Amino acid sequence: MKTNDTSRREFISATLLAGLAVTGCSTGKNPFEPDAATIETVKPSGEMIKLLSVDGEVIEVDKAFLKPVPSLPQVSNELARQGIPGKKFVMVIDLSRCKSLKKCQSACNHMHSIHPGQNWIKVYPQQEAEHTAPYWQPTTCMHCDEPPCVKVCPVDATFKRQDGIVLIDSDRCIGCRFCMAACPYSTRVFNWEDLNLPKEIADKPYSCETSVPQKKGTVGKCDFCPDMARKGELPHCVSACPNGVFMFGDMIEDSVTNGSETFRFSELVRDKAGYRLMEDLGTKPSVYYLPPVNRNFPFENKSETEENKKS
Amino acid sequence: MNKHSKIFFTAILSQLLAIAAFAQAEKTDLSLSISYFNSNNHVQYLVAHAKSKIDGKFQMIPNINLSFYIATEDAANLLGKAVTNDKGDALLFIPPTAKDEWKKSAKVSFIIVSQKTKDFDEAKGNVEITKAKIQIDTAADRKITATLMELKDTVWTPVKAIDVKIAVKRLDADLNVAETPTYATDSLGVASADFKRDSLPGDSKGNLTLIAKVEDNDVYGNLSAEKIVPWGKSIKYYTEFDKRTLFARRGKSPLWLELLAYSIVVAVWGVLIYLFGQIKKLKQLGVN
Amino acid sequence: MESLAKQQIIEDLLPQKFGKAGKIWVGILLAFCALGFVAYCLQLKNGLVVTAMRDYVSWGIYISNFVFFVAISLVGSLITAVLRLTQAKWSTPLTRIAEIIAVSAITFASIIIVVDMGRPDRFYNLFLHGRLQSPIVWDVIVITTYFFVSILLLYFPLLPDMAIMMKHKDVTGMPWLNKMYTFLGSFWKNTAGQIHISEKAINILSITIIPVAFAIHTVTSWLFATTYRPGWDSTNFGAYFISGAFLVGAGAVVVAMYVFRRSYKLENYIKDEHFDKMGKVLVLLALLYLYFNVNEFLVPAFKMKKSEEEHLMGLFTGEFAIVFWFAISTAMLIPILILITKKGRKPFPAFIAGILVVIGSWFKRYLIVTPTLLHPFLPMTDVPEVYKHYFPTWQEWSIALGSLAGALLIITIFARIFPIIPIQETITEIEEHEQA
Repeated sequence: MKTNDTSRREFISATLLAGLAVTGCSTGKNPFEPDAATIETVKPSGEMIKLLSVDGEVIEVDKAFLKPVPSLPQVSNELARQGIPGKKFVMVIDLSRCKSLKKCQSACNHMHSIHPGQNWIKVYPQQEAEHTAPYWQPTTCMHCDEPPCVKVCPVDATFKRQDGIVLIDSDRCIGCRFCMAACPYSTRVFNWEDLNLPKEIADKPYSCETSVPQKKGTVGKCDFCPDMARKGELPHCVSACPNGVFMFGDMIEDSVTNGSETFRFSELVRDKAGYRLMEDLGTKPSVYYLPPVNRNFPFENKSETEENKKS
Repeated sequence: MNKHSKIFFTAILSQLLAIAAFAQAEKTDLSLSISYFNSNNHVQYLVAHAKSKIDGKFQMIPNINLSFYIATEDAANLLGKAVTNDKGDALLFIPPTAKDEWKKSAKVSFIIVSQKTKDFDEAKGNVEITKAKIQIDTAADRKITATLMELKDTVWTPVKAIDVKIAVKRLDADLNVAETPTYATDSLGVASADFKRDSLPGDSKGNLTLIAKVEDNDVYGNLSAEKIVPWGKSIKYYTEFDKRTLFARRGKSPLWLELLAYSIVVAVWGVLIYLFGQIKKLKQLGVN
Repeated sequence: MESLAKQQIIEDLLPQKFGKAGKIWVGILLAFCALGFVAYCLQLKNGLVVTAMRDYVSWGIYISNFVFFVAISLVGSLITAVLRLTQAKWSTPLTRIAEIIAVSAITFASIIIVVDMGRPDRFYNLFLHGRLQSPIVWDVIVITTYFFVSILLLYFPLLPDMAIMMKHKDVTGMPWLNKMYTFLGSFWKNTAGQIHISEKAINILSITIIPVAFAIHTVTSWLFATTYRPGWDSTNFGAYFISGAFLVGAGAVVVAMYVFRRSYKLENYIKDEHFDKMGKVLVLLALLYLYFNVNEFLVPAFKMKKSEEEHLMGLFTGEFAIVFWFAISTAMLIPILILITKKGRKPFPAFIAGILVVIGSWFKRYLIVTPTLLHPFLPMTDVPEVYKHYFPTWQEWSIALGSLAGALLIITIFARIFPIIPIQETITEIEEHEQA
């Protein structure tokens, strides 16, 4: 259980609290002092930082209570495989807001240094049938609760975490590509050649949570940016979308946000009749779609080619 | 939470692209801005943003060395240095060395100066704020009040007609406690809201974190205060993780599969090992 | 005292040195192997980018080749085990041909699967981190097992022959070969005790190899059938694969019979009768495979589910139609038509039918792997144009051909070193026949 404690501490320190345990400076009862309950849930890191308070007093604050945290150490492979306890990440994609600007895609490609031409986020021009409406459908990894890709992986290189995220350990992947065949959402890509990354990226130790740097001969895919979640921030695609198409959050907290708006997840999906892709396959995705009704933009497919006629 | 990072994150270009675009161009103007944050009336920090107009669009500029000063741009007033990240942001906590300058008056100004680079000339930015505090309290019937006070000379006085956001803290988000997100303060500096999120999941004890915020205010900067209340539904999280399933990790396969697989392997290899033994027996027979 | 007949048999069946044709044949095979090796070195250096596989067609002819090898290796169990257990005595001269085909094919199946890996340097992860839930791990287990069962089934009947060969050292003509015979079989004294143990072992092996052989190809079919993709998502797949495997394996045996008979002048041992019987077996197997094909294509085509439609139409009338109908006719229809007549079961026409079966079956494996990958559930989007098509590069062809050449090379060299028709068993059978 020791490892669990550590991960819990790191997560909470990073996300939950702007609340502070102030040590050493408080004189008398301070009305602005945080609740005892707050202090209880955080374990101090032991590293103290001296700051100036608004009253002009010098205070010492444990680094674990600082928010935002200036820098977080990368979690170990073992912790990255377990995930963040007590969380269940979900995404809601509002199809009525998407006009295929693909800012999500470029932000994702940049932040993960993906091979040029390949994409972890794809934006499909969709049309179910001849007389039904066309719409744009962005897809990320679905982070299925019963992931077919994880079932078939021979070496535990791709795995399902307790917070619902499916990740890839590129230091372990043997490149058999069974997971790519197993995924019905075509979400996985393979690094067919050396990526020629800039040295400062290529030399980084690989982290399952950042999925950087991608390595030749291994599989890559959308990772829901758990490194950002640990920092209490949103995935890159969510914050990059100017139209607020992507909403990300914790199902346990029952809320999702696109950065500017925050909704109760259960209400949003209920009121707007959210659904998941290929429900009949039993994969139980963590990505929900809101149907493309009352759309903000008309559907315009500038690069309309004959190849996109299938649903 | 750092709202600026979100607002300005709309267009990210790789550092490489940015540099490539600049390689041929003349030096471009770098525009610097600075925001003041105070959370829970203790932790104060500054966030600087570096951006520049490239090809008609504002883009965030990473890797800019910034020096932060309080009041004046003197070496004695240097608060510290920081480098902008991919989003063009640089963060600095206000250090105790600024104590004397901070205490001088109710208004404080901060200055940032960027170092000259290959692509940008030196640039400056500054902000002036009035010291303020925000306090969050709860009353009966799940009423939440937020009190905003500013420092006038040496006295903390209420501020009226300022919009305060009152919300429940979520992952990088603030969920409204009722229909409206913000509430204006009255002449006593008090803004109040009713908590209407029935059975919203809290932590294992049903605790929720309430937050009162003043965001991007021209006079006060960004202020926030939090309070934990037991108004949520307590949540026991169930996960399939580490249960015996087909998608579990190594060694966690379903028992029926393990039984089936191992019994087949043992049976077949038992036969093979027996046959290898027979070869040995043949050899012994041949020698005798 | 050895009878004259026995002396003659030994003389006929002892391995012979390569003649001119044999040397050219080995040279050609070596050249293909070398080409494949060079191509693989390029692939190791630059990554799988040297292939035409991309994100959608993530499995190409390497995997079809793998399935082909696994299929062909099944013949070991068919000829040796099934026919042995059913007391079909006529199959005795074919058992070793079938077993060596099985061993060389399963060896190259394992090699080609490593060739397909993006990170062959991490092969050891299968042992360090292997997950029992993954069908790939099942495949690794059953293929390893099948390899050892096949080796044993090759080895036990070889023991008496090795004793014979040590008596005829002059024929082999190479000291290192004689050393190997001594190492492998010097303990064989042909005593009653030894014969009893050996016979019992062969019986046990013949029974064991059947479920293991079914397992290798069923598990291989599950690599596809455990996914959701149209064309793979089929409960028919295990039986479909096994029936196809028996067909291609039997076809390969007929081809090998003809080649060995011609080049080693074995007309008295591999007789017209053998071609006749194997021809009938081939017809039966081709009909069986045809039956499973009808199941595999007619049933989904009757329903034409949307996800299946593009895949099926691509095969029937679309971009894969030529290959599809070519494979169906060469692997099944034409061989049935040839072999159904008595004249067609003469050695040469049977040989042609065998070749057709093998070639058609190779393309059938290609059709099982690739067209499905080109018809994913969501349309191919946001990838470079080249990602939407697949035609193997010269590196892939070279490696695939090199592996086929390698398998043939193993068989060729084996026939150079060991008697390709069991000598002792042939003698015993003739003696039993004479006594009766």
